[in-house]
Amino acid sequence: MTRFLALAEKETRALFASPIAYAVIAVFLLLNGYTFAVTLFLTKQATLAHIFFQAAVQLILLVPLVTMRQFAEERRGGTLELLLTAPVHEAEIVLAKFAASMLLLLAMIAGTLVYALILGRFGAPDWGPVYSGYLGLLLLGAALVAIGLAVSALASNQIVAAVVSLGLFGLLWAIDSWAAVLPAPADNWVLGLSLLARFTPFAVGAMYLSDFGFFLVLALLGLFLTVRALVRR
Amino acid sequence: MVVVSVEGLSKAYGRHRAVDDVSFEVQDREVLGLLGPNGSGKTTILRILTGYLQPSAGTVRIDGIDVVRDGRAARARIGYVPENAPLYGHMRVNEFLDFMGRLHGLPEAALRRGMAEARRRLALDAVAETPIGRLSRGYRQRVAIAQAVLHGPRLLILDEPTNGLDPRQVIELRGLLRDMARDCAVLVTSHILAEMERVADRVAILLDGRLLTVQRIGQRRQRIGLRLRAPAAQAAAVAQALGAVPGLLGLAAEPEAEPGLAAWRLEAEDAAAAGRIAARLHGLGLASLEPLDAPSDLETLFLRLTASKAIH
Repeated sequence: MTRFLALAEKETRALFASPIAYAVIAVFLLLNGYTFAVTLFLTKQATLAHIFFQAAVQLILLVPLVTMRQFAEERRGGTLELLLTAPVHEAEIVLAKFAASMLLLLAMIAGTLVYALILGRFGAPDWGPVYSGYLGLLLLGAALVAIGLAVSALASNQIVAAVVSLGLFGLLWAIDSWAAVLPAPADNWVLGLSLLARFTPFAVGAMYLSDFGFFLVLALLGLFLTVRALVRR
Repeated sequence: MVVVSVEGLSKAYGRHRAVDDVSFEVQDREVLGLLGPNGSGKTTILRILTGYLQPSAGTVRIDGIDVVRDGRAARARIGYVPENAPLYGHMRVNEFLDFMGRLHGLPEAALRRGMAEARRRLALDAVAETPIGRLSRGYRQRVAIAQAVLHGPRLLILDEPTNGLDPRQVIELRGLLRDMARDCAVLVTSHILAEMERVADRVAILLDGRLLTVQRIGQRRQRIGLRLRAPAAQAAAVAQALGAVPGLLGLAAEPEAEPGLAAWRLEAEDAAAAGRIAARLHGLGLASLEPLDAPSDLETLFLRLTASKAIH
């Protein structure tokens, strides 16, 4: 446990010591704050559904920037050898990086809680979709971070890691649009794989165990692949 | 007491065998040098010892613990300084040592003690709060070694530790390695012969992944090669004068380009013998004695071994 805590602390410090963290948080909050304010003035509706969709798209764009360096940078600098030759398990190294990245995502998403507070103070929002929306963002974030880490562990260059992650996320997000042109069983498969189709129920206040499980499985798969990429060096 | 035992170690990448059936042992308080040209498999062997790479065949035991079967326990007994001393530039020296100590599972008290001891031995107190990225190459190398000795390893491994150091830092490092070898076994690689002769107790010579020989470095005699030039007419007088100088190990005539002059190649046992030789020649009114760079025993051995392998 000491070892994991040492790793998690080091990863968190490294992440928050870099300007990337603050740029990502600032851009995320600026764009969402703008949308929240403008939409609120125009529609006068106490809802966050549109914020959740916008935040989800921004996670797809920003998570690659958070995860790209995590392994690629350690490999380039040779420090990965220091970590892997210490008496720690690969899974501890991976989980520490996952925990640190999730902490950054939490900080980003926590900033948007102000919108919920404002709605609660001046209006009467339906709280169900607000709770489920935040849960959905966290689950989506966890899945994206885990996949991003796996790509970073496989790539030798951080820009390559970022571009490949972005491509994967974009593909998985919008793959449901293929459902319209595919024959019977395949259209359901692509719908089932789509991040957008899985996220939509959360944003509008409907929670299904299958969607919950989908994101969880995606996150675990990503973490598993990351550990495998480290073991098979 | 044997700390490292390597038996029949091989590592293959496809059809290429980077390490081929290598066996050796390292004793406690011994410095073993792995010597070989670039690409001879030195780093691969170290990476297998430290658990970074898996061997294709053979076994490696550290203190009797198999590095493949019980990797974590084996790695806990090793301190490793990879090539080019990779470090986290954004961390301060203390912060980095603290992190590495905790990574090795040191409890708080042992961590404090280990850090203080490592900083003292490697003279890092002055830079304890400096970000590593701002340190010079020499300091970075010392931080990398400090990190490796924090937890009191049974085996200290250094990969090309003199790379990028200036001559003074190289001399300091030599002293450090001898100092470290008082508590543990030390395994060090280099492609520089002279370095190995000065620092290692035994040297294992590698070529193309194969271990050619393991040699004990003998009492390092400071033999001195000399070259003497004198008028050809005085040849007999020179031979007579040098006939019975104690410590003169060899006297052989050498070709000489300048007409009227003769040349000899001499080997003196040590500096004192060289002084005696010079004094005798001075008696004859001759002073044209110049030192030669004699190839060391290890150098001769290395050239002989690598040449014969290259032909086959």
